[in-house]
Amino acid sequence: MEKVAITGIGIVSPSGIDKRKFWSNISHGRSAVEKITRFDASKYTSHVAGHVHELEAYSDVSSRLLKKIDVFSHMALVGTELAMKDAQLNLADEDLDRAGIFMGNAIGGWLFAETELRDLYIEGREGVSPFAASAWFPAAPQGQISIKYQLKGYSKTVVADRAGSLMAIGYGARALEHNKVNFVVAGGMEAPVTPYALLCCQTSGMLTKQEQNPNEAYKPFDKDADGYAIAEGAGIIIMESPERAEKRNAHIYGYVTGYASTTDGVDRINPAEDGKELARAISLAIEDAGLKNSDIDYVCLDGAGLPLWDLSETRGIKLALGEHAKKIPMSAPKSIYGNMLGACGALDVITTLLAMEHNQVPPTINLKNLAPGCDLNYCANGAVNKEIKNALVISRGRGGLNTVLVLRNGKE
Amino acid sequence: MVEEKLKKIFYDALEIEADEIKPDAQLAASLGIDSTELVELTVAIKKGFNLDIPTNTFKKTQSFNEIIAFLKTKGV
Repeated sequence: MEKVAITGIGIVSPSGIDKRKFWSNISHGRSAVEKITRFDASKYTSHVAGHVHELEAYSDVSSRLLKKIDVFSHMALVGTELAMKDAQLNLADEDLDRAGIFMGNAIGGWLFAETELRDLYIEGREGVSPFAASAWFPAAPQGQISIKYQLKGYSKTVVADRAGSLMAIGYGARALEHNKVNFVVAGGMEAPVTPYALLCCQTSGMLTKQEQNPNEAYKPFDKDADGYAIAEGAGIIIMESPERAEKRNAHIYGYVTGYASTTDGVDRINPAEDGKELARAISLAIEDAGLKNSDIDYVCLDGAGLPLWDLSETRGIKLALGEHAKKIPMSAPKSIYGNMLGACGALDVITTLLAMEHNQVPPTINLKNLAPGCDLNYCANGAVNKEIKNALVISRGRGGLNTVLVLRNGKE
Repeated sequence: MVEEKLKKIFYDALEIEADEIKPDAQLAASLGIDSTELVELTVAIKKGFNLDIPTNTFKKTQSFNEIIAFLKTKGV
């Protein structure tokens, strides 16, 4: 594909909202997974999550608007503002009819929805806020970003379980490649730390049940892994053509150079154990980038922290990268702050860009004993100094979704 | 009195401050109230003044003063 430049990043995460604080916590592997205290989660089987703190301190959203939106839109607006400022975009000089928004999330805005549904059954239909109609649905953040900045170009919201935001970034890059837009705001957001959303996630059987040490609960590729800890947050990036970025003298974090997605076609929830379709997505993405397997310096992993998923991911990588698989450092930095579901891919793209900028591979934490069949270099428990020229980001979703993005270092 | 109570309802329902509401304030043009906010406001007025009115009561209402006038016709 025609490469696309990434010129701004905005992070709203349990590991920090500011990018410096985020990278400091990620590179040092300081866990942000905590016991859930926002509501009584004692009767749930999963009691831990990554929470966003200090959102208000970074927010310029009016209290009037806050009454109308769910927190997942709020986090998206804060992330977008940070990314816009970081990219130093001057919207007064832009053709906003050619500005695109590409977002991904998995579950929509449930805190707003579940509160209003409670009121529906207690007070009747007039107890329900009319804002519920537009606050909960997955495209709400896209709409709010469009309204706030008057961005009116070709846009999409992708709902594809945990692969949503990586797919959104892939679609956004394609929209730029096909010259449908001049610049793109892309990423994902998720707010699953609510009573009903936690219940739904718990029912999927994919959440960790460990509660003694929340910091150590999420342990991808470990033999004692029993699921992921959910997390809330948003990750937003600004993308544009390299020519445009250079012309306006923007800082280029990196480039999207390849993208591919495949579907397992095996089970409505679990991935195929053999990892063949993941391998095909990896190979297609590397081919799309015009690279060879040996060109890949880092892989940012999906790292679901479930035995079948971790094994399947490991197999897919080995199948695609062959002899190079074991030589390449790879990690699941989301083990540090939790699994942000549909926003995972966006956070992983941002983490990989920061890893390229700092010449450092962030660690997978809580990995003490490798699970059977998981025998790659997962950078367990400590960052590794390494220059990263080309990297893969992998996001997977239930139903056998495999998405792979190729990033190139902006210094190249 | 009605005006003060209505301003409080505007704030409680929509976070519109009392000093934003000038005597000739237009609901959409000057206060930026959209169709969804109008439904929220109508339900709040209904509860606040204990009225039995449908939620589309103010669909064609242009201004704050028109709401006051309407409330007076209802004996508020």
